[in-house]
Amino acid sequence: MAAVPVTCVRLTTSMHNNQIVRKNSTFMIVPMGRIERGFPCLRSSRFQIACAAKPETVTKVCEIVKTQLALSADSEVAPDSKFSALGADSLDTVEIVMTLEEEFGISVEEENSQNITTVQEAADLIEKLVEKKNETA
Amino acid sequence: MVPPSSRTEILSLFRSFLRSARQFPDYNIREYAKRRIVDAFHDNKTLSSPSSVAAAFADGKYQLQVAKRQALVYSLYSPKTKSIMDIKY
Repeated sequence: MAAVPVTCVRLTTSMHNNQIVRKNSTFMIVPMGRIERGFPCLRSSRFQIACAAKPETVTKVCEIVKTQLALSADSEVAPDSKFSALGADSLDTVEIVMTLEEEFGISVEEENSQNITTVQEAADLIEKLVEKKNETA
Repeated sequence: MVPPSSRTEILSLFRSFLRSARQFPDYNIREYAKRRIVDAFHDNKTLSSPSSVAAAFADGKYQLQVAKRQALVYSLYSPKTKSIMDIKY
C-alpha cells in the first residue's frame, strides 16, 4: 500500500458558466496491488492408501516373475501367490528383487528384501519406493 | 576358525555381486557377469560339507573384489559409443 500525497488536483471543466471546479485532496491512497496468495498448493493433496498397489504395477511384477522363473504364459500368478509356491528358491527371490529394482529404478534395502514373499508385497514396496523417489526428486 | 557362513550372508554376497555387475559399462561383460554369477551360485547351491561351503564363500568374496575393481577400471576407460543392445527404441 503506497500513499501518494496529492496536494492539489485541479480539474478544469469548461462549462457554459465558466465554472472552475477544483478538487483538492491531500492524501490519496493507491493500492499497489498486493498479490493475495490463496491456498498454498505446494504439496500434492493426494491421499496415500497404504495397502493398495496400482494394478499396472502388480501386472508388471507378475510379468517379471513369470520371465524369471520361466513359467508358461498362461500359468496363474495371483497377487497373493508366494514366490516359493511358484517354485522359486531364495536365490531366485533375490534375482527377482534385483530385476524389479532395475525395472522401476528403485533401490531396495537389505532388510526389506528379506520380507518379500508374495507378489503383492513386492508391488506395495515398489509403490512406496517410487513415491519416495518422486517426492525427493 | 571362521564360523560357517549363514544363508543371509550368502544371499547378501549374491546381492552385492549382482549390484556390482550392473555397473559394468560394456553390455557384453555385464550380461556375462550376471549369467556367470547366477550359474555359480546355482551350482554351489547343493554343497553340503561346511568346508566346501566356506571355500566357495571365500572364493566368491575374492571374485566380488575383482568385479568391483574391474567395474571401476572399465568405467574409467569406457568407449563413447554404446552397444546397440543398450539403445532402446
